[in-house]
Amino acid sequence: MTPPRRGPAVEARAVMVSYGETPAVRGVDLVVAPGETVALLGPSGSGKTTLLYAIAGFLPLSGGEIVIEGSVVSSPTVSLPPERRPLAMVFQHYGLWPHMAAAETVAYPMHRAGVDKKEAARLASDLLEQMRIGHLAGRRPAELSGGEQQRVGLARALARRPAVYLLDEPTAHLDTVLKADLQSELAHRMRADGAAAIHATHDVEEALAVADRVALMRDGEVVQVDRPDDVYARPVDEWAAHLTGPASFIEGEVAAVGADGAGRYLVRPDWARLDGPLPARVSDVRFRGTHTDYRLETDLGSVLVREPGPARLDEGAGTSLAIERVWRM
Amino acid sequence: MTDTSTTSLGSEPATGGSAARGARRLARRWAPAAALSVAAGLLVGLPLAVLLRTALEEGLGPLLEATASAGPAIWATIWTSLGATALAVGVGALIALLTERTDAPGRRGLRLAMLVALIVPGYVAALGWLNAYGPGGLLDDLFGVAAPALVGPLGIVVVMGVEAAPIAYLIVVAGLHSRAEPDLERAARASGASAIDAIRSITMPLLRPVFAGAAAIAFVLSVTSFGVPAVLGIPAGFTTMTTRIYRDLAFSSDPASFVRAVGLAIVLAVGAAVIIALADWLLERRRADRSGVFAGPIGHMGQSAPGPQEEGAGRRRVRPRALAAGAVAWLVVGTIVIVPLLGLLSTALNRAPGLPPGPSSWTLDNFREVLDPRTLEALGNSVVLAAAAAAGVIALAALAVMARRGRGVGLTGSLLGLTFALPGSTLAVAVLLAYGASLRNTLLIILIAYLAKFWALGYRPVAAGLDAIPADAYRAARVSGAGAWTTMRTVVLPALRPMIVAGGLIVFMFGLHEVTMSSLLYGPGSATLAVVVLNLQQLGEVGLTAALALVLAGIVTLAALPLLGRTGVLERVGWRR
Repeated sequence: MTPPRRGPAVEARAVMVSYGETPAVRGVDLVVAPGETVALLGPSGSGKTTLLYAIAGFLPLSGGEIVIEGSVVSSPTVSLPPERRPLAMVFQHYGLWPHMAAAETVAYPMHRAGVDKKEAARLASDLLEQMRIGHLAGRRPAELSGGEQQRVGLARALARRPAVYLLDEPTAHLDTVLKADLQSELAHRMRADGAAAIHATHDVEEALAVADRVALMRDGEVVQVDRPDDVYARPVDEWAAHLTGPASFIEGEVAAVGADGAGRYLVRPDWARLDGPLPARVSDVRFRGTHTDYRLETDLGSVLVREPGPARLDEGAGTSLAIERVWRM
Repeated sequence: MTDTSTTSLGSEPATGGSAARGARRLARRWAPAAALSVAAGLLVGLPLAVLLRTALEEGLGPLLEATASAGPAIWATIWTSLGATALAVGVGALIALLTERTDAPGRRGLRLAMLVALIVPGYVAALGWLNAYGPGGLLDDLFGVAAPALVGPLGIVVVMGVEAAPIAYLIVVAGLHSRAEPDLERAARASGASAIDAIRSITMPLLRPVFAGAAAIAFVLSVTSFGVPAVLGIPAGFTTMTTRIYRDLAFSSDPASFVRAVGLAIVLAVGAAVIIALADWLLERRRADRSGVFAGPIGHMGQSAPGPQEEGAGRRRVRPRALAAGAVAWLVVGTIVIVPLLGLLSTALNRAPGLPPGPSSWTLDNFREVLDPRTLEALGNSVVLAAAAAAGVIALAALAVMARRGRGVGLTGSLLGLTFALPGSTLAVAVLLAYGASLRNTLLIILIAYLAKFWALGYRPVAAGLDAIPADAYRAARVSGAGAWTTMRTVVLPALRPMIVAGGLIVFMFGLHEVTMSSLLYGPGSATLAVVVLNLQQLGEVGLTAALALVLAGIVTLAALPLLGRTGVLERVGWRR
């Protein structure tokens, strides 16, 4: 989050990638500062993986250019091979080599970098220890759980000591507990390393939690880049609002919250509370453990309200609503 | 799956006639399995039993003695097959890496050429090589370059290798998709490995069992190959096991040579079965070895995240390295597929041997002359046999589907596995022993051999389709009110229709160009087109042979056209012939 003193770690300028005639990434501009983590958030098929692969050097550009640490690595005429780019990648499906044990896998990047065998083995076992899977060093992927496999994948990336980490939905195939675990692992390691990271995900909570900035992708374009609290509170359009969290929209005069005049407004569930000036009727109640979601029908439209604790109103009950904050669409 | 209580759910309440109904139900459930067993018994079981009984009647001593007298032929088979295997796996792996892992231009064309090579039968390929690279062949006429060693063991090694190469290619391609997902190479590249490093340290070790499996299958194909050693070995007096069996059966009434044929047939079958079991083990082993999510369907990753080797990006310049890869691939494919076919064409069109190729010496006389009434009768025989075999195999496949839904699943599987492993020469000898007394020299005896041999070939795509129907599809039909048989009729068979059609077409195609069994079983009036081609060649009719081989290849390709469009169908066949 410190403003960049050196140049950016990665810069994409009007990047275009096509599969045959089909454009998959159409003119993306993105700047990632050293030490910064940028999340690419978008539904599947929005071009996140394609953009990552282009940055990694797996896909050629049909337009624009990619600059890593000041030098152009990709353009329609230039393509530095992946192994000569200062980056490491963590794959959605782990990308572990079935014929290699964890220790060999983690040592592999160091072998390629010319580190001698003993030193590489020592560093690999250190990394596995740090990832808390030192005891699994001799296991092959088939003998590891999903979470363990992804830890090996992460250790392999760390072993490369890159300037930029590319993370392609690293937690997509893990269950909730492992996911949270690995997310904090990732965040800590990236921060300790001081390297930049681009983290593709379709999970909004993950994007908001791990990133310094979030880039929203739709149909191969970046539609908004902002800090996590800003993409949540100030989405550029309704699509972005839906992508970044639960969203209700109301229409009309909302003078109460200082909005000037009639219009269409976004209301997040934590921006409204039960019991207020606006009459409402409960149309749906969902208890979700830590909190309860109420859908309220008002004259301005339907609003989702979130309140801690178990449900205290029934469906169909009459109640009232206070809206404390809105964002004009 | 369906015990009696579930079957009766939703039907009328069981009343007076429930015992009779129960018996009927039982009969219906077991009928397909029973019919299947009878068919398998008649087509495969009985002939093999008779073959074994004949061998035992002769006594082990004389049998071993007779077999040992064919020692040179056995040795010749082994070493030519080893050479052919090395060549097939080398070429297949090279082309597979070039088409799947580079940006070589024209990859679609290369894949198609390899499929065409798969369809072209071995003896046509052998004739093609003779007419392209042999003395008086196309290259001799054009540039004065000829390889006289083509006739003889060296030519057999090369052409059998080329014959098995497309199958090795398909196995390696399948292995690349199922075992070496592009992400694994990408992970290596992102770890600092160069393209060559990634292939060497990741792809090659992963493919080792695939290479071994491909080698085993190429070896079996070569050992059981008859067409190639018949075309290139017999004129040179070079005998392999299959041509030995052919000569012992066809040209001799000497009892000793008959015993030798029986012994060789058994040795061939046992050898092939052992190697095929080995190949199965190598190819199936470590399937479970794959990392987590990769255990999904084949090619899963390739589809979700196309790599640079997919259709490339936009209209960008072709890089020099891709050009080099393309040049290598096209050179190899041109040498093994395209030039031999051109050689055949040139010879077939040439007015007289020795004339320089060119429009001035072109004529259609060879085609006109070769399509005489006898050839047309053979063509008719081939078409009738192929069509009857296809129809029979479809019926048998449908029966097997029903039996699998009922009882006796394991039985079907192992019976079909058995017919896969049987070399055509062995099967023909066995069928001749079992049915020769009454059916000798008829089309029917050839048909029996075809059904026994091709049954598995036609069932393979159907079984794959059957496996693809989720178990919930049956349950959904049942809870929607369909009985077991209605489910079969309305849900299962319609879903399998494309597979059944594909299976039938495959059998038709293989029936059209079959030579190993028909050359052992034909008689006056029941010669097939392939047999006529072989006989013409042995008479030295170069131009006529080339013309007829082309006609045959053309008809086979026509039959294969509906299959070429469907990716995956021919790949599955290619597994085993």
